[in-house]
Amino acid sequence: MNKSVLLTDCGDPAVEAAVAQLDAWRAVTVPTRDLARAIGHEAHLRAVFVAAEGPPALREVVECAHAKGLPVVVGCRDEAARRRAVELRAEEWIRLPVDAEELAGRVRSALMRAQASESTPDLAARAEQAQMLYDFMTGLPTLPVMIERIRPQIKERGEVTVVYFNFVRYSKIEEIYGWEKLDAVLETTAAAVKEFLEGYDLQASRVMVGYTNDDDFIFFHVPPLGEQGVSEQQLTVIVERLQKHVAGRIEEAHGEDIATLFEIYVGLARVYYNPKLRLERLIYRGIREAANAAKSVEERERARRVDDLRTSLRDRAVYVDYHPIVVTQTRKVFGYEALARGVMRSLRSPEVMFDVAAQADLIWELSRLCRARALEGIETRLGQGELLFINVDPHDFADPDFTEREVAEPSRVVIEITERTAIKDYPKFRERLKAFREIGYRFAVDDAGSGYAGLGSIANLEPDFIKLDISLISAIDTNFIKQNLVESMVKFANDHGAQVIAEGVERAEEFETVKSLGVHLVQGFYLHTPGPAAGARRTAPAPAGAPATAPAAD
Amino acid sequence: METLPPILVVDDNHDNAEIIRQYLEVRGYPITVAHSGDEALAVFEQVRPALVLLDVMMPGRDGWETCRIMKQHPTLGRSMRIVMVTALDEWADKREALQTGADDYVEKPFDLPKLASTVQRNLAMLKAAS
Repeated sequence: MNKSVLLTDCGDPAVEAAVAQLDAWRAVTVPTRDLARAIGHEAHLRAVFVAAEGPPALREVVECAHAKGLPVVVGCRDEAARRRAVELRAEEWIRLPVDAEELAGRVRSALMRAQASESTPDLAARAEQAQMLYDFMTGLPTLPVMIERIRPQIKERGEVTVVYFNFVRYSKIEEIYGWEKLDAVLETTAAAVKEFLEGYDLQASRVMVGYTNDDDFIFFHVPPLGEQGVSEQQLTVIVERLQKHVAGRIEEAHGEDIATLFEIYVGLARVYYNPKLRLERLIYRGIREAANAAKSVEERERARRVDDLRTSLRDRAVYVDYHPIVVTQTRKVFGYEALARGVMRSLRSPEVMFDVAAQADLIWELSRLCRARALEGIETRLGQGELLFINVDPHDFADPDFTEREVAEPSRVVIEITERTAIKDYPKFRERLKAFREIGYRFAVDDAGSGYAGLGSIANLEPDFIKLDISLISAIDTNFIKQNLVESMVKFANDHGAQVIAEGVERAEEFETVKSLGVHLVQGFYLHTPGPAAGARRTAPAPAGAPATAPAAD
Repeated sequence: METLPPILVVDDNHDNAEIIRQYLEVRGYPITVAHSGDEALAVFEQVRPALVLLDVMMPGRDGWETCRIMKQHPTLGRSMRIVMVTALDEWADKREALQTGADDYVEKPFDLPKLASTVQRNLAMLKAAS
């Protein structure tokens, strides 16, 4: 096979090293004065790298190359040279002296850019097109690109197996932590999936990964000639391992709370090539079929979980993690947020547990159980003067069993109400809160600032505490808009006699930032590890004097 | 002398863009100017700016949309700070700004020293991150 040629006037050995990193390329080096001429003569020429900086020579080379439709990478020693390269519309530039890896990357990107500009001269439109062809986050090709890639193999082999991976509950991550978090989780997922496949031998067959707009993956598996495609049993094994692998990576990168939300359901469909039918349509049908199969697996699993939940309710099988909330200035414990978890593995995540309860119409039962368990913490957990924060859904106030007389010492309890659930009838709701307030309960607005509503809707609830939405806290140290929002929330709280709690503080930088913004209280892994299960696996710097988290009762 | 990182200034108002260019160029920043969102997108891969000063109210592709596309760039998106040039008064405005991936904002009409300090604090952030 003829190797592609990178023509250059640069004698740096890094060029050879760069070419070695490209797939089937070689470098041809000529003196600068011969460069323009060589562009016309050299066979298999695909790109030019020019290191000479004399403006006339550079212009000639770029023009010759562009006349032949070849992309040019310009070596630049300084800012002026870089600007010249941009003015000449060279596809790429690179700082001199060159770094091999960097050069290989620039050549690749120059090629892509030249290719794109052939079909779409408008540069802005090109940016849009590039996004349509490749998922910007994962770098995986989108479906139309994928189909073109596997078309020849499917024709040759006559069949393709479509494997659909439905990653459920990713939307939940976005809802709780914000889109930036989900982006990061998706990136981890894609990397983990790629990594897994690279280390996995599917009988040396071809597996390609596609990626749909939302958060699902598709594999195309073309078995080699003369061999059977992947069987259901093989697939079950693969999925199990993949699930473990991805969950492990997610836990490493994003912590246990997010990892427990993670689940994959897989469906499979076989598509047989038929020259009479359009391959695209066949594949789209196959994808739909595989997605439906994944859906039915998910439904079976859901039914199983509802059973688990009924059993858990009967056996009162929930335990409580107590997340400490500390005073920002002193780092002394102010109180604990009680977070109920299922004892059964499938119901470990509170989000999952309440999801299942909502589907099975068991919300009130579950809420009652979780509340009762959480309130035990007043006796077992609280030190003197410490408060217990419990989560109460606005709908729970409609539960006749939920009354202000539930607790012996209401003044030690803070009821958290999430801003995310829409409250339909404010006057009535406030009336209900009043009864609680009068005998000493305090209130916190949870997830405050998650929506567009801002401060008005918070003022409506007259809270004693305002818990900032996690999405405002994560990476707050680097985002000045978040800092500005939190600052205004603190000011609002100070004006209304409330205290602000920053939830989800995971890094020292985040802690220092919220501290400097005047946030009164903080909660998050940076200061304490929450439950026993997480505590064993997570390391966070616990400040001196902080009480160790005792294991919660199972 | 240490070279300062390149800045892309995007403003449909030529006078505004010129004022910013001169002010920042005197302070040693290499400045590239674009007068529309499309123009900014067309040059930003080549300019590889460390910071983009992005006017919001522009005809055609506005600042928000431009910001979103830039932030989605596979290689440059993360290594670049975007400062929106607009007044964000309401909570909802700021929330919306976060949605696009913007890092900071500076109010218009701007006072130039404020603009320079905004530029500085964002570049410092970038330096700390790398």
